[in-house]
Amino acid sequence: MLDYELLEKLCRADGIAGREDEVRELILCEIGGHADSITIDNLGNILVFKKGARPAPKKLLISAHMDEVGFIVTYINDDGTLQFAPVGGINSSAVYSRRVRIGEHKIRGVVNTKPVHLTTGEERKEYPDITDYRIDIGADSREEAEAYIQVGDMITFDSIYEDRHGRIISKALDDRVGCLVLIELIKSELPFDMYFSFVVQEEIGLRGAKAAAFTIAPDSAIVVEGTTASDLPGIEGADRVCLMGGGAVVSLIDGSTIYDRDYYRTAMDYAAANGIKAQTKSKVAGGNDAGTIHVSRGGVRTAAVSVPCRYIHSASSIASKEDIEAVYQVVRGLAEAILGKEQDTAVHVQGTQS
Amino acid sequence: MKEILHRLCADKGISGSEDEMRGIIRELAGDIAGVRSLPLGSIAAEMGDPDAKKHIMLDAHIDRIGLIVTYIDDEGFIKAEPVGGIDLRTLAGNVVTVYGKEELTGVICTVPPHLSRDNKALTREAVWIDTALPVRQVRELVQQGDSVLVCSAYTELLGNKISCSALDNRAGCAVLIRCMQLLRDKELPCRLSVVFSSQEETHESGAETAAFILRPDEAVVIDAGYGRQQGVPKEKSGKLGSGSIISIAPSLSRGVTDKLIALARELNMASAYEVCGGKTGTNADKISVSAGGVRTGCISFPDKNMHTQTEMVSLDDLEKLSQLLALYVLEGGASHA
Repeated sequence: MLDYELLEKLCRADGIAGREDEVRELILCEIGGHADSITIDNLGNILVFKKGARPAPKKLLISAHMDEVGFIVTYINDDGTLQFAPVGGINSSAVYSRRVRIGEHKIRGVVNTKPVHLTTGEERKEYPDITDYRIDIGADSREEAEAYIQVGDMITFDSIYEDRHGRIISKALDDRVGCLVLIELIKSELPFDMYFSFVVQEEIGLRGAKAAAFTIAPDSAIVVEGTTASDLPGIEGADRVCLMGGGAVVSLIDGSTIYDRDYYRTAMDYAAANGIKAQTKSKVAGGNDAGTIHVSRGGVRTAAVSVPCRYIHSASSIASKEDIEAVYQVVRGLAEAILGKEQDTAVHVQGTQS
Repeated sequence: MKEILHRLCADKGISGSEDEMRGIIRELAGDIAGVRSLPLGSIAAEMGDPDAKKHIMLDAHIDRIGLIVTYIDDEGFIKAEPVGGIDLRTLAGNVVTVYGKEELTGVICTVPPHLSRDNKALTREAVWIDTALPVRQVRELVQQGDSVLVCSAYTELLGNKISCSALDNRAGCAVLIRCMQLLRDKELPCRLSVVFSSQEETHESGAETAAFILRPDEAVVIDAGYGRQQGVPKEKSGKLGSGSIISIAPSLSRGVTDKLIALARELNMASAYEVCGGKTGTNADKISVSAGGVRTGCISFPDKNMHTQTEMVSLDDLEKLSQLLALYVLEGGASHA
């Protein structure tokens, strides 16, 4: 079993894009003493090298992102309420009437909503625009608010963390599950030398990974992620994308990457041979750091292995521990297979590119 | 006041079924006075002189809005329908507790952004709860009719303000408990019944039947009023921290209302007034015409974001309101010359 107490700490840490400090500190604490080299680059990425039992025939990078979706304070109104902008892709519905915490001092606030009794039938059918939302911290004036809050402060969901009945409900499972998998690999004995990166700013355009991939200059990469599962009532077939409880999600294609077909097969074969549940997405949807890593320098053969998460990018995403375990196993198996191949022939996807 | 409200909001985020509320109220009120349960689930505490000429009733409702389980599908998703005036927009993606054989945490299903870019709220018919458990386990633990509440935690904000779900009307109950504390060991010029009534959010039945049983001469209803905030008209709301909102309406007793206004002035409370052209939409509507009729007034604490999990009140308001009600009782209520 992976260390789920650590996952709780990772999820409870707050870190929107550009403000990953808390998450970074936590990760550095965990991996200190378990790696051969740990550096923090100019953007705040953590770059790690760890020697394995054998030297690797080529450079493999395993990457996860530290940032989560959230908000940023854009303005403090005269009445002490705060205006804010989303950082990363968030639906209006995920913010409506939620509790949040703001800034370094984690000041508590709530997103105000006009009481339902005073709304019209039309108003009740639709969410307001995020720009019309206001956060209330209890302050009665701008002066009172300014004593605690600055424009530019980070805002994150103030939500529950529950680990019960084999599933986890939390904010930020995307991508603290990936961080957990990487930390566990770094803490373990590795069969080959490997590189790892915990990157910043995925949610606002895959930015940290671009710099990390340049610096490490890998031949191959595995991105470990949380991805959208929509196996929900009223959604059938391909629209379900992937299933919670269906095991590790190995990507073929998404919004930003056509993945290395050989690595895809290797991962699926490894899972099948070892009785690990694995699946692929039934819809070309989403995207992750693979989008920037696979086109780094002269090109990097890339795979993505993800944990299916329901209600991703919200205060309460759900993942199954069984799936998280499967992702760890598949990533480990795929890494060993990629580095263990005597003759690594670049079998690139043919005929699938449009 | 803070301790009482904290107690009523319970410690954890997951709390607030009506049974739990009743238990906490019986304990808090039972400490000060004799309590009894009424047939529809209300609780009445008795104080003062049972033989006094005048009988005053104070009322706050204990029930809250929520949902009820109506169906479980083959994959274990639970269908639920709202009970009381819920803003359906607060539901999608929110965390709830299902009060089955054990308390289960779930999330209200919401369609992910890549499948739906529109901004539509759920309809009453499309509220599904996801406990992420296998169907077999869900069916073992959950039954049709189980109640479901949106989770919230007692949260302290700046300026002595508190946010939690169902402060409408847990804060009102806290005011009554505090008022009872203030009256403890005092000699009252009247008989006093403090009623924690059930079923306000649906049909106000708890208070109606309690008033019939108790037959008070006068009643004051304590409920949540609109806190001043963006989108809420000034004439309907009071600023948090201003003290209280006093209702003025043809359905209410002018004598009781005037007394409340006079006491608020005496206590230097900058009260707001909510004037209604007819009924008030609170328990006062039913109490006032119960049995042979009861002279009734209504006073509220300002509450922002009413009927959501982010309701917000000022502890200062609740304390002042408790003092006002205690004074009302000590002065024997309104005079009806």
